[in-house]
Amino acid sequence: MTWWCSASGVPWEWGWRPYPGVWLFLGLLALVFYRFGRSDGRSARYFGLGLFILWTALDYPLGALGGYLAAAHTGQFMLIALAAPPLLLLGLRPRLAAWGAQASPEAVGRLRFLAHPVTGFLCYNLIMLVTHVPSVVDGLMPSQFGSFAIDLLWLIGGGLLFWPSVAPPPFLRMPPLGQVAYLFVQTIPAILPAAFLVFSTYPLYSLYELAPRVTTALTPHYDHQVAGLMMKVVGDPIVWVTMAVIFFTSANQERRDDLAAMTKATNRPAS
Amino acid sequence: MIRAGWVLAAWIAGCSGRGTPEVAGDLTGVRLPVPLPRPEFRLTTIAGEPFDFRTRTQGRLTLLFYGYTRCPDVCPATMANLGAVIGRLSAAEREAVDVVFVTTDPDRDTPVVVGPWLANFEPGIIGLVGTAADLKTAQVAAGIAVAIRGPETANYTVSHAAQVLVYSPDDSAHIAYPFGTRQAEWAADLPKLLDRWKGSVR
Repeated sequence: MTWWCSASGVPWEWGWRPYPGVWLFLGLLALVFYRFGRSDGRSARYFGLGLFILWTALDYPLGALGGYLAAAHTGQFMLIALAAPPLLLLGLRPRLAAWGAQASPEAVGRLRFLAHPVTGFLCYNLIMLVTHVPSVVDGLMPSQFGSFAIDLLWLIGGGLLFWPSVAPPPFLRMPPLGQVAYLFVQTIPAILPAAFLVFSTYPLYSLYELAPRVTTALTPHYDHQVAGLMMKVVGDPIVWVTMAVIFFTSANQERRDDLAAMTKATNRPAS
Repeated sequence: MIRAGWVLAAWIAGCSGRGTPEVAGDLTGVRLPVPLPRPEFRLTTIAGEPFDFRTRTQGRLTLLFYGYTRCPDVCPATMANLGAVIGRLSAAEREAVDVVFVTTDPDRDTPVVVGPWLANFEPGIIGLVGTAADLKTAQVAAGIAVAIRGPETANYTVSHAAQVLVYSPDDSAHIAYPFGTRQAEWAADLPKLLDRWKGSVR
């Protein structure tokens, strides 16, 4: 039974097929939010959008194509590790903030440790680099459990990447500009796998080199090059969006604080 | 038939996992237990000209592959990999190698179909078509298992031999490359094969 998208090696066919494991996984995440994260409409919208992005990455057709094309696999990576995690975390943020206010100092300390920029940088990049090593991809992707493991690692890696920027106050350790700088630095190590994909003379992944072709127009070499370009040309702007949101949210907050201070000063009775 | 039996036996041994396939020296390919003589068969090129395989490729390094254009897996992957590597050879090296694709699907693979399909991979690949009887003769002559057409449906498949036979300038195939040979492996082996037969390539 096929429960998760993997590189099955069977010829590609356009035609919907069910992946019950994906639905179960998304259902469990929704349940977690419903039980522990529900707080307001805005959070629900963030979380719902994050789930929707995850669903498009994991289910047919993109999830299935990820077993045939390196470019589709990279598309999945960007959605699972870069696009969905900040939204899921934003959805859980109010509840996490409330929980942080009453949690034990040890628990808060652990999540504060994960919100340290060095922790985030090392954990995410270790996961990102290891899950792009050819022997790891070629070894894990043909099995459903292996493919599931890669997808799960990407989601966890994405959570670790964005936690230092999206974590609520009890855990947050950096000022807004520090968060923006942190996210910018996070985009640098991806140059390594992207450059290997774009500039290698021959395809890196035997899986995608020898996979049944989806179209003869896209040779394995071009497919790898497209994957490498996507990592930077599409992947970086996704992180930039989060950087922009943090920057403008912080700037707006500062302006509101200044206005409030000015109003307070203006309304003070003259002595 | 005896030759076909040898090749088949070598393939079964190679694919069964009961032993490591014998690697031909420092090459990735599998050494054939008995060298196969360059086969003799006549087919038609995609330009409509007759092509006598033995005469036209005699004394040259020749890569021979049997497949069909609607093949969903082995054929496009093999031709894409071969095409990518052939396209990167130097002009002198490219001049010394013939890559020949023989269809195993006479009903659908007409010159009009095969030509553009091969051009996707590399313009210099020689595409050969023919009648069912001629194509069967060409497969038997090469010592490979004859292709079998799958159940009759609108988009039927054809089971066929998946290896690339490499004929050296001594007009024998000593080595074959199974499906799964990667571009980097072809890129490493082709110059070695050319170097090994330097001076004797026609």
